[in-house]
Amino acid sequence: MAPPVAGCEKYALSVNLVRTGCNRGVMDDDELIARLADGDDVALRELFSRHAPWLAARLRAVLPAPDVEDVLQETFLAAWRSAATYAPQGVAGGWLWGIARRQAALVLRHGGPATVPLLDQEPGSAEDPAEAVLTRAQLAAAMTALGAPGGPEREVWRLLYLEDHTVAEVAELMGVPEGTVKSRAYRARRLLRAALRGATSAERDAR
Amino acid sequence: MNIELTDLTRRFGRNQAVAGVSLEAGPGVLGLLGPNGAGKTTLLRMMATVVPPSSGRMRLLSRDPGAHAQRREIRRRLGYLPQNLGYYPAFTVVEFIEYFALLKEMPPSRIPKAVAAAVEGVDLGTKARAKLRTLSGGMLRRVGIAQAIVNDPELLLLDEPTAGLDPEQRVAFRTLMRDLGERSTVVVSTHLVEDVGAACTEVALMDAGQIVFRGTPAELTVRGKDHGIGDAPLERGYSAVLAAARS
Amino acid sequence: MIERPDMAPPDVDLDRVWTGVAAQVWRREPPRLERAAARLLRSPGLARALLTTPSLLAPWLIASVVVLGAGTIATAGTGEPLVWLIAPALAGAAIAYAYGPGIDPAWELLCSMAVSDRMVLLVRALAVFALNSVLGLAASAASGTAAAVTFGWLIPMTAVCALALAVATVTRSANTGAAAGSAAWIITVLAGQATAGKFTAVVTEAVLIIPYLAVAACCAAIVVYATRIPRGTS
Repeated sequence: MAPPVAGCEKYALSVNLVRTGCNRGVMDDDELIARLADGDDVALRELFSRHAPWLAARLRAVLPAPDVEDVLQETFLAAWRSAATYAPQGVAGGWLWGIARRQAALVLRHGGPATVPLLDQEPGSAEDPAEAVLTRAQLAAAMTALGAPGGPEREVWRLLYLEDHTVAEVAELMGVPEGTVKSRAYRARRLLRAALRGATSAERDAR
Repeated sequence: MNIELTDLTRRFGRNQAVAGVSLEAGPGVLGLLGPNGAGKTTLLRMMATVVPPSSGRMRLLSRDPGAHAQRREIRRRLGYLPQNLGYYPAFTVVEFIEYFALLKEMPPSRIPKAVAAAVEGVDLGTKARAKLRTLSGGMLRRVGIAQAIVNDPELLLLDEPTAGLDPEQRVAFRTLMRDLGERSTVVVSTHLVEDVGAACTEVALMDAGQIVFRGTPAELTVRGKDHGIGDAPLERGYSAVLAAARS
Repeated sequence: MIERPDMAPPDVDLDRVWTGVAAQVWRREPPRLERAAARLLRSPGLARALLTTPSLLAPWLIASVVVLGAGTIATAGTGEPLVWLIAPALAGAAIAYAYGPGIDPAWELLCSMAVSDRMVLLVRALAVFALNSVLGLAASAASGTAAAVTFGWLIPMTAVCALALAVATVTRSANTGAAAGSAAWIITVLAGQATAGKFTAVVTEAVLIIPYLAVAACCAAIVVYATRIPRGTS
């Protein structure tokens, strides 16, 4: 799911300003990244001030604070260096989160034995950060709980969480209404959580 | 004690700029007040090891600035902002600060982060790569403050640092001074009495080359009760002490 | 600076993160020449000070090459050696613009630096002198004049440079130093012409070597004395 565009929330309740405020924010992000490619460090500063807070919040759900700082630093440096590769589509937040996720994966890979950071946590999720990190085997087992590849929950999961599309985009790709997408996503999360809980409790019993 | 001055004098030709100053200061912010020609700038220049004293004893950061090797050690831990700082117009803000970081013999690997912190510390983050010739007077003054703090000095000497800064920037500057004063000795020479009251833990008042008052801002205020001329209590204390010293 | 600080987790220091990002984005990579100079001089600060010398920068060097080149060409055209006449004056001006209270606006601050201002002065003066000598010698050799004239101007050049530097340091003005050096050289050349009958006397007469060196030594002593304490406003 696309991250909230910074500043939109404060306008959400203000009836007249919702759409224009949000749209202008998205356009400015694209302009900012274009300026990054030109070597404008003030644009990077602005981008940082807009996106670092929510990126930090998301990362904090899966990483300890010092690692979050390292990952954030590497994320914005990587964004600075690869700004030219960004195609303006109004998805600056998703682009940054993609970079952040890869950096987080690097940190975790070097941090411990074969661990893979995986789930795009809903901000505010109560899960323990340690539990959010799975081994490949546990992941494979959990994925089978979602059903066969191509099945509705599996597809929704793949498009929404692994490929970072918005709910609207997934609805269009799957040819179903947004409400259906949301309820399938809800079901998928429930199935996964149950599978994970089952896996970890089995692990605990085995120790 | 970061500063230990005993009976310091400095003469230029026939002019006795500093006429016997004894001063001791540890961590904190010391405000140096006084009228023009009182000798504040000369005293600061001596503490910055730019001018040797004519007579008297000086110990800075527990070292003797008269000895070459120790003077170098002092200078590595020193930050100095002269009253009139010239600039290299073609340099950018970060180039200028980096230049003096190098001349202070900071380890090169630590310099980029120190420069970035100094730039952000004086709120010039949006002007980091601007050429100095494009900056206003107040911004240039802040660049000067930034080069003084880049090496996290144990002894920071600032001569009229708030010249050209607007009120909002002066407030930000005072906060910066208070933070720095927690670890190091900051000496601020100024003729703006209100700057002193807000940021300084101690005040020294100079007149005709000598120190005529040393104490807290509150003590200076007390001296002004019923005696002084001025709009603010601290100003009254200032004028009262000066009047007493000259009579 | 952060727009929505309430969104960030309380134990993540975003200001520190930004400082880390800015450090990498704003940093300057010293060119190879500077890194080599830093190793040679055992001081990165001294190397940077050297390579920012006004008279070692590209525009000045190009101008010097042009002037000396013109002299060489003129020599080829007229048969009169000219490099010996030009080189000392040019070097004197370059030295005056190498360093000093006259040319360096942040000079008071430089005097409080761990890298001593006298070291900066010494290194800059030597580098400028050496470079100008090399350029002058190349021009001299290219114009193919007699050996005495080809090399004879090096010692007078030392004296002119020392004088220019001394005047620049004492008067705190690079322009005055450059003017003094050029004027002294012209007067010397004219005096040589008046007494010995030929212009090149000033570079070919061996008896002049001692006086030149004496002038150079005196001026160097003046510079050392004048730099012992910077003069200020009070």
